[in-house]
Amino acid sequence: METEPVLQMRNIRKTFPGVIALDDVSFDLRRGEVHILLGENGAGKSTLMKILSGAYERDGGEVLIDGREVEIGNPRRSQSLGIGIIYQELNLVPHLSAAENIYLGREPSRAGLPFLPFIVDRKAMNGSARELLAGLGVNLDVRRPVGELSIAEQQMVEIAKAVSLDARILIMDEPTAVLTEREIRELFARIRRLKADGVSIIYISHRMEELFEIGDRVTVLRDGSVVGTRDIAGATKPELIRMMVNRELTQQFPKVAAPRGKEVLRVEGLNRAGVLTDISFSLCEGEILGVAGLLGSGRTELARAIFGLDRIDSGGIHIKGRLQRIASPRRAINLGLGFLTEDRKTQGLVLPLSVRENICLPSVDAFSRMGVVSRRREAEAAAKYRKDLRIKTTGLEQRVVNLSGGNQQKVVLSKWLVSRGDILIFDEPTRGIDVGSKAEIYELMNKLTAAGAAIIMISSDLPEVLGMSDRILVMHQGRINGEFSAAEATQEKILHRALGDTE
Amino acid sequence: MKKLFVIILGMMLALIAACNRDQTASDGRPTVALVVKTLNNPFFNDMQKGAEEAARRLGVNLLVQAAEREVDVEKQMQIIENLIQSRVSALVITPSGSKEIVPAIVKANQAGIPVIILDTRVNEEALAAAGGKVAAFIGSDNQEGGRLAGELMVKALGGRGQVAILEGIPGHETGDSRMKGFRQAVSAAPDIQIVSSQTANWERDRGYNVFQNMLQAQPRIQGLFACSDLMALGAVEAIRAAGKTGSIVVIGFDAFSEAREAVRNGLMLATVAQFPSEMGRQGVESAALLLKGEQIQPEMTVRIELITRGNAEGSSQ
Amino acid sequence: MTLKTYVAQHGRQFGTLVGLLVLCAVMWILTPHFLTISNLLNIAEQTAIIAIIAAGMTFVILTAGIDLSVGSVLAFSGVVMASLLQKGAPVGVALAVGVLAGFGCGTINGLLISVGRLPPFIATLGMMSVARGGSLLFTEGRPISGFSESFRYLATGRVVGVPMPVLVMLTVFFTAWFVLTKTKLGRYTYAIGGNEEATILSGINVRLYKTLIYGICGGLAGLAAILLTARLNSAQPIAGMMYELDAIAATVIGGTSLMGGEGNVFGTLVGALIIGVLRNGLTLLNISSFAQQIIIGLVIIVAVLLDMTLKKGRR
Repeated sequence: METEPVLQMRNIRKTFPGVIALDDVSFDLRRGEVHILLGENGAGKSTLMKILSGAYERDGGEVLIDGREVEIGNPRRSQSLGIGIIYQELNLVPHLSAAENIYLGREPSRAGLPFLPFIVDRKAMNGSARELLAGLGVNLDVRRPVGELSIAEQQMVEIAKAVSLDARILIMDEPTAVLTEREIRELFARIRRLKADGVSIIYISHRMEELFEIGDRVTVLRDGSVVGTRDIAGATKPELIRMMVNRELTQQFPKVAAPRGKEVLRVEGLNRAGVLTDISFSLCEGEILGVAGLLGSGRTELARAIFGLDRIDSGGIHIKGRLQRIASPRRAINLGLGFLTEDRKTQGLVLPLSVRENICLPSVDAFSRMGVVSRRREAEAAAKYRKDLRIKTTGLEQRVVNLSGGNQQKVVLSKWLVSRGDILIFDEPTRGIDVGSKAEIYELMNKLTAAGAAIIMISSDLPEVLGMSDRILVMHQGRINGEFSAAEATQEKILHRALGDTE
Repeated sequence: MKKLFVIILGMMLALIAACNRDQTASDGRPTVALVVKTLNNPFFNDMQKGAEEAARRLGVNLLVQAAEREVDVEKQMQIIENLIQSRVSALVITPSGSKEIVPAIVKANQAGIPVIILDTRVNEEALAAAGGKVAAFIGSDNQEGGRLAGELMVKALGGRGQVAILEGIPGHETGDSRMKGFRQAVSAAPDIQIVSSQTANWERDRGYNVFQNMLQAQPRIQGLFACSDLMALGAVEAIRAAGKTGSIVVIGFDAFSEAREAVRNGLMLATVAQFPSEMGRQGVESAALLLKGEQIQPEMTVRIELITRGNAEGSSQ
Repeated sequence: MTLKTYVAQHGRQFGTLVGLLVLCAVMWILTPHFLTISNLLNIAEQTAIIAIIAAGMTFVILTAGIDLSVGSVLAFSGVVMASLLQKGAPVGVALAVGVLAGFGCGTINGLLISVGRLPPFIATLGMMSVARGGSLLFTEGRPISGFSESFRYLATGRVVGVPMPVLVMLTVFFTAWFVLTKTKLGRYTYAIGGNEEATILSGINVRLYKTLIYGICGGLAGLAAILLTARLNSAQPIAGMMYELDAIAATVIGGTSLMGGEGNVFGTLVGALIIGVLRNGLTLLNISSFAQQIIIGLVIIVAVLLDMTLKKGRR
């Protein structure tokens, strides 16, 4: 059905010093549709959304809501125009309850009685919050602090908050990045409900599979310009990828099997009370070991234990044939381990420092003599990986806070390459990264294994696990609940094991 | 945002200008700087008033400066250094520290600026060792004041009982002298025992707390000598809180108006009056004489007086 | 690196420097006594003690920490050193022990924070009281005074007309600049403040370096104690009260972020000089100490507001 667009953005232009972030971008959103916004990181999606949210001012073009031209000067104005945004990093106050978060700044008060307008009517607030969430099909205790809720539930609280603000245009930035398979199903069910209520949704995601399931139309951005808009019904995956990257990706997972060398890591009977139980596995040179499992299944905790971040209660870790006690990350790094953490910003990078300083951080010892660091030798090493990994920066001295997600991830990767890690643990290496950077990271993994490195890849992205691993471990509640070779694994088999089935 | 800065900057400049308003331009009159310990103590406010009165009368430019805190010897030294830089003709100083002031005096000597000391004596040895010299000392005889207080204490207690002392900051010449005089006088009465003697840092709230603790430890204390009224007034509150008002004899030092009030109301038996305004007045007068090239006496004593209920009404500073 | 990119990257420092120069110009207009060689040296000499403490504070604040104990540690180091001098210990030994006493207090702070996991505010608040009480107990509340000429030379001496404290200050700042920009320790200082977890994950012994950084801060307080003792010819157990606030103010005015990871020691020197120039100029203008406090408070607020706006503008 063709309807009047709720939102039109015409010829939007936005420049930053030295960069044209958006060039003549036009985009429209119909009532009750899910419009996917697709593009590599740095293509301009975030900038476009920030103009809608009032965080940025546009340099040119116009924005129309219900056919009337509007000015969005600040986030408050954006809110009053009926625009709601669910950010990837949720904006909730962890110590406040779900209801308090939803009504933050608009707490209902007991009107009519003197002095009482200042007193929050908790009963009314909890009641309407419960109603609101029920309308979305969510059933949770609105009095619990949101910090105790799951990520998926927190996201629902955010959506409920937007709905309570009468949002007619909802922007969702990578909403599924942190969700498990089942939670994604539930989220989609709720998105369909919102659609039916006439809410229009701009949906930003990198996961191709989702687009076809939830989207109505898709607009592809590349380098700050619109490449085109398609109806999902008529679009194909290869076509969309082609539009995004401007180069044919022959295969999404360019796995190249490397020759299997000798065993470099063997974990035997590893235990950590309440977290890990009786974990045993091995890893060889040239091998990629996929680790699948739901959130909270102990995958990251396993990586932390091996890397010396968390104490282990019992069990042995053999590195290159020798039993080692790894009490600190420092020891782990000296043994050739590297750990690409799942959260780049809080664990991987020192945001105020430069690209060079971040890349060289674990290896400063190697670049210094008597405590004095050789900037020149650092710059040489950093420049090499900047080139090899095609990190897009204005220079080695650019602060990493200003890089896009994909380039930040490449900086973290470079850290472990400079420190000569040959047993690499990648925790969600491609989360929140555009297709182009993803492919580059897969290529790099191939190169590393070809050179004899061994990789443990923890991932929630099943196609990725299936496409890149030589072997796959499935974890469930802190145990290894199944191991498959690449040949025998399927999505169904892995999901069953991840959910706790033993057959 | 930028506007805000301009406004704040403007306000600050205006403030500087406003504060600067009463600085008389150099009109050939000599400039005398009075540096006291602090200006948030009525004792030094009185001293300032006396100095200002004399300066007006003699046609002298008077600058008054002080650190924020009474014990900040380093800040006082900075102030004196800065005044030396601004070429004052003479310095009248109440030292924050008897020894710590010496380097500043030496600097003034080197710049050829005469120094007159008020109230708190400079440590003679330290001064001699550093080769510094002061033109005069003007102050009350603190030891004599302490002795007067001690004699009164002996009389009030009928020659027997337990007595406590609240000291000033150790190493401060004024407090040490007062205590010395008091102890001398009391030692003449063998049945009077000094059961406790602690510092309360010249501070009122410390006086309260320290004396409260003393009463806990020595419940039979009958008399208290505090080396300053601020500490004495703190102790008076502690006595009130303990329900012992009237049963403990309190003697203070300095004769603040508030302490005189306490004496009138019987909360304190007496306080030793100094006359800081006279010190300030004599300080400026002596400086003016020096600048005219006249000789002044190296040692001048300002009178000291015991204020009791009998004379608390009439006498004034 | 071209001048333009250098200015772009280090613009914040120049902002502080411009502030200092403007302030000097205002003082120069208002009083003839301000802009003389002897007064400028006088200001530098007066600033030296706070500036040296602030250099140590900069290290700590760069790690997103705080050290409230520096004033008390200064007093403690001072009385320890002074008592050794009075007992006839060689000057060199006494100085070393003074600095080590400060370093020791700082190291205890560091251990409480890194190993004991206490918030820096709490750990150093405790040390502030302990070191103060320690120095009062040690001296029974009395100042220790009267030292040899050779010791006092540290405060009274001049080399080609420049007072010793100023030379010590410049040496400290040059060394601190070198350490922060050229050495491992400096790199780790910024990294810890920028993201402690990422730094731990990069295999850096954060506990060791944090302890060391608080040790350095204490050691510099000990060094400042030497200068202060020589200057006053007396070590007071009550010395250095509220110096921690002056040191924090100098660091913050100098553009170091209390959130850690951003700032530099050059800015701190300028920040300390701004406070020094204000105190000196306002005294020359005979502005009362009460009004001086208001003005200095306003300068701190304006400096940080300006800093925040400049940073916002750059993004």
